[in-house]
Amino acid sequence: MKEEAVNRKNRVKDTTADRIFYAVNGVFWVIMLFIVLYPLYVVIISSFSDPSAVTRGDVIWHPVDASLVGYKAIIKYSSLWRGYANSIVYTVGGTMLSVAVTMAMAYGLTRNFVGKGVVNFIVVFTMFFSGGLIPTFLWMRDMGLYDSPAIMFVMGMVSVWNLMVARTYIQTSIPNELYEAASIDGANHFQYFFKIVLPLSATIVAVLSVYYGVGKWNDYYTGLVYMKTKAIMPLQTILRQILATLTNNASDFAEMYDDMAVLEERTRIANVVKYCSIIVSTVPMVILYLLMQKYFVKGVMIGSVKG
Amino acid sequence: MKTNSAARSTGSSHRIPITTRLKRDWQVYVLLLPGILYFIIFHYIPLYGIQIAFKDFKVSQGIMGSPWIGFENFTTFFNSYLFGRLISNTLLLNLFDLLWGFPIPIILALMLNRIRQERFKKFTQTVIYIPHFISTVVMAGMLYIFLSPSSGIINRLIQFLGGDSIYFMAEAGWFRTVYIASGIWQSAGWNTILYIAALTSVDTELYEAATLDGANILQKIRHIDLPSVLPIAVMMLILNCGKIMGGDTQKALLLQTSSNLTNSEIIGTYVYTVGLGQAKYSYTAAIGLFQNVIGFIMIMTVNSVSKKLSSVGLF
Repeated sequence: MKEEAVNRKNRVKDTTADRIFYAVNGVFWVIMLFIVLYPLYVVIISSFSDPSAVTRGDVIWHPVDASLVGYKAIIKYSSLWRGYANSIVYTVGGTMLSVAVTMAMAYGLTRNFVGKGVVNFIVVFTMFFSGGLIPTFLWMRDMGLYDSPAIMFVMGMVSVWNLMVARTYIQTSIPNELYEAASIDGANHFQYFFKIVLPLSATIVAVLSVYYGVGKWNDYYTGLVYMKTKAIMPLQTILRQILATLTNNASDFAEMYDDMAVLEERTRIANVVKYCSIIVSTVPMVILYLLMQKYFVKGVMIGSVKG
Repeated sequence: MKTNSAARSTGSSHRIPITTRLKRDWQVYVLLLPGILYFIIFHYIPLYGIQIAFKDFKVSQGIMGSPWIGFENFTTFFNSYLFGRLISNTLLLNLFDLLWGFPIPIILALMLNRIRQERFKKFTQTVIYIPHFISTVVMAGMLYIFLSPSSGIINRLIQFLGGDSIYFMAEAGWFRTVYIASGIWQSAGWNTILYIAALTSVDTELYEAATLDGANILQKIRHIDLPSVLPIAVMMLILNCGKIMGGDTQKALLLQTSSNLTNSEIIGTYVYTVGLGQAKYSYTAAIGLFQNVIGFIMIMTVNSVSKKLSSVGLF
């Protein structure tokens, strides 16, 4: 840390107050890390535990009677996997579309063109005022987007926040002299954007992909409001059904099962099934984040310092 | 006037006639076009539909064809027994959320910035962002399981300490606490990013000078770190004030149960449930408009007050 170097250089020793501060700070962060990680840890160990132990509330520090019952059960949940496949398509397609449109627009906004003020206003105003749910819903329905997979690709295509981050990134990390040099060589905006700006923007493209990707994967509301056909539902909607229904009112499902034994077994493993569904739906995002981590925290910093 | 081609699209191009500039920069407009179209189609055209708030909208007659009824939808809402409850639920939820959710990321960022061991700092930073990548659906699901009165880990702890288990998700009095605490768990870490960015750009010489002057850490935090995050903090505060009538509808819906409705029914969830569920389009469009106007007024007011007091503003 830069300040430590300063301290060492000047041979200034920590004061007592400082030592107390560092001790308190250390304890503080250990507690914080526990608060963040423990719930996640419980989900993981519970997903590998015996359902009865989970229902009794015995799974606290480690898996109890390790078993894969939950995972074996969810493999057979075809609706979960269909939602999974749908969400992969929505996420990949929607993210590519979003990143492309955002980058092009962000580049445009770094240029000095006639009407820039108007375009900026059009963008920023949407942060402060919107038509609201009902007018938007009616218009989407008029456009034929209700209950159509297309809505999952286009809803929230450009986020103002992401646009600003990308614009700031291009502005600060690609020197304008590059454009001047390129335009002396006869490059037009298309050539400059595709051949120079995009290749130099790998970091911000990665950042935007993670942002949009996670947003699309985790989006529940769009599916809730605009979808009704189960076959095209995204993962989160299906997940909600699994997480909200399986246990509490098992009797509602009684008629679905001729065999009471099957129902009882379902009820018994319901909690573990929930944990397993959480794991299979969340782990891809967390891994994506951990892989891209350094890459994108840096990118956000650059993009936001002057944003 | 002779402009060197280098300055074509930058700086001093104001004396070039507009038509020349339009012709020269047409490719910029092409690149902007998809984005502009998105904003027009998904954010501006819906504004046209706001008029149904003043109409008796019938799907068969369309937006234009439905008869005007003035402020009837609004007066119905203002006079309904739900009005007071919706407003106070929404305001209280967001007010408490702001009260807790706004300062905590700042404190976390200041504390994080003071971790000395570089590796522990990196690790901490990585960890506190993780909850942000968990979906609200999963978050709500975890809450239902952890807070379950029979097997939930929280109630196990309460029982262990000798208390009676609480049915958190069914008691209206617990709704705000659950909503706000889980929100902090999920996003406080992530929301430190902007403050951390501001802190990393602090001039090292300031710390050096402070150390030589004998300042201890708390004094450095108070006089160097805090002022350096202040402008961003004010901006975040202004933005959050605009949401005072809004809130996270998706999350409120996910945490809503039939038994906590007295506290969990906020404007957003009501518009969703009644508007789409019972197809009362005009009535709920009016409620939505009322909500948006209040949000807009709030953000403008806070912005101008902030500009007067601290010269920090969004625009």
